Amino acid sequence: MIPLSWYLALSAVLFSIGVVGVLVQRNVIALFMCIELMLNAVNLTFVAFSRFLDQTTGQLFVFIVMAVAAAEAAVGLAIIISLFRNRETLNVDEADLLKL
Amino acid sequence: MEFADLNISYSAIAPEIITSLTGVAIMLIDAFSKQGARRTNALVAIIGFGLTLAALAGLWTGTWTPFGGDYFSGMVVVDHMRLIFSFIIVIVGILAVLLAGQFLKDEELPAGEFFSLVMFASAGMLMMASAGDLVMVFLGLETTSIATYILAGYRKYDVRANESSLKYFLLGSFATAFLLYGIALVYGATGTTNIVGIQKAIASGAINYPPLLLIGAAMMLVGFGFKIASAPFHLWTPDVYEGAPTLVTAFMATGPKAAVFAAFLRVFAVGFSSPTTGVGETLQETWVSVLAVIAVLTMTIGNVVALTQKNIKRMLAYSSIAHAGYALVGFVTGDFGPVAFYLLAYAVMNIGAFAVIQMLARPGDRKTEISDYAGVGFETPLLSFSLAIFLLSLAGIPPTGGFIAKFFVFRSAWESTPGLRWLVIVAVINSIISIYYYLYPIIVMFFRPLPAGFSKPKVGAGVTAVLVLTLAGVFFLGLMPDRVLGALNQGRGAARVAIQEAFR
Repeated sequence: MIPLSWYLALSAVLFSIGVVGVLVQRNVIALFMCIELMLNAVNLTFVAFSRFLDQTTGQLFVFIVMAVAAAEAAVGLAIIISLFRNRETLNVDEADLLKL
Repeated sequence: MEFADLNISYSAIAPEIITSLTGVAIMLIDAFSKQGARRTNALVAIIGFGLTLAALAGLWTGTWTPFGGDYFSGMVVVDHMRLIFSFIIVIVGILAVLLAGQFLKDEELPAGEFFSLVMFASAGMLMMASAGDLVMVFLGLETTSIATYILAGYRKYDVRANESSLKYFLLGSFATAFLLYGIALVYGATGTTNIVGIQKAIASGAINYPPLLLIGAAMMLVGFGFKIASAPFHLWTPDVYEGAPTLVTAFMATGPKAAVFAAFLRVFAVGFSSPTTGVGETLQETWVSVLAVIAVLTMTIGNVVALTQKNIKRMLAYSSIAHAGYALVGFVTGDFGPVAFYLLAYAVMNIGAFAVIQMLARPGDRKTEISDYAGVGFETPLLSFSLAIFLLSLAGIPPTGGFIAKFFVFRSAWESTPGLRWLVIVAVINSIISIYYYLYPIIVMFFRPLPAGFSKPKVGAGVTAVLVLTLAGVFFLGLMPDRVLGALNQGRGAARVAIQEAFR
């Protein structure tokens, strides 16, 4: 059987790729995909722990995360569309009316 | 697990059920009414909040449900901390609904969605306050966040609102992912997602792999830190607060912040506080020290940057960061009382201040620079004197609620944890710095000449009601805090932890 640490390492790597992606990507859709990648890395961690602890709690948590992520995706894409209608851009650096 | 172990009690979640159903009802009424039924919707929302208050009062007196238990196999708890934070959330919701009428009318925005989103956000906040399990914390946090992402961009033809909404969404989801990863690691280390279960697991020393627990707690700290806008995770706050409609800014800065503080307190001051074992002691000492440092950074950055702001919404955004820092000073004592009182006083005075700003800014939030306030003092006395009182209260000048709240937080931190007295000194220095930028708009309002072409804003009944309620609240909390403090003291000990011993 594949040991738990392999799953944890894989999900940590995926999560880190997501974090780095959020920090370096400039396209809103790509940013959004990186956030989804982070959430799925978390799901993998949950499922792995659930399997190795011999419990269902972690798997139930994954269902809730998936449902919430779907709701979040719907709202996020709507926000992106309304920005695109007004600005005709998907680059976050051009969304700069409010100074950072 | 037996079916009876689930401990199902619908009255324990009655406040959440009522707010969610009111949200659905408002959507239906809006769909079947001919032309945007703004008044009806506002009335339904107020009735919904009234019923929620009644349900909370019922829980407080223990009429339907025994007080102090947990329900739905540990998912929902009924205790003082939950109910006090729930009261704060409902008060914020009522004030937001009262303010919304004029905002929606002036800007001709659809009313149904707005009120139902406020109801759904409130339902999420109530869930966060009542959460006894990390699943509920996550679910409540996301319900609140998703509704507030939309509210921030509610003025959808305004580019600034789009941008505010987008930034809030991206950074909010980013923070949520951190929080979730933390939850996953803590679950792996302790084998449970129940907060009391986590405490028991740490106390018994049955931790699968201690570093996982520490990393998980750190990730959760980052996630919560983002949501309460504490430094160094505060960068989104000024942009989001400036771009969102003023009313929504008032709502976001008070309600969700109070709710996240409730969940944050429950997870850290209850879940991660069993200093009996080696890893438990390390964990607790670490998070208390880290939070003390975060509190110092948050207060200092918030206040110092606020000094240089020219836009009043941006200034109040930085002030909101600073106030999260003061609340964190109360947090490190591990007692929810000072934090809850602080957040209540902050909610009342902040919503009042934003109500005035909304009126003076005019539809579309055009006049939000501090220079736009020149000379308005004696032209619109109701608005300007109210704003002056709210700003003085935010600065913490007696006899306002802001003063008592600060006093209560600082005194409790000073007395309970001698090891952290330096934190109180930093906080006091910070509140002295803050007086400058709170006084500046008052001086501009009363002592600068009025530009030509000023027309008085028309203040509607809803906004007047909010101003009267918040002014009454500021003075009630400032002059007669005993009643509220009495209620808070009843719940003492429930969430109190042994941090005091650790730092003696």
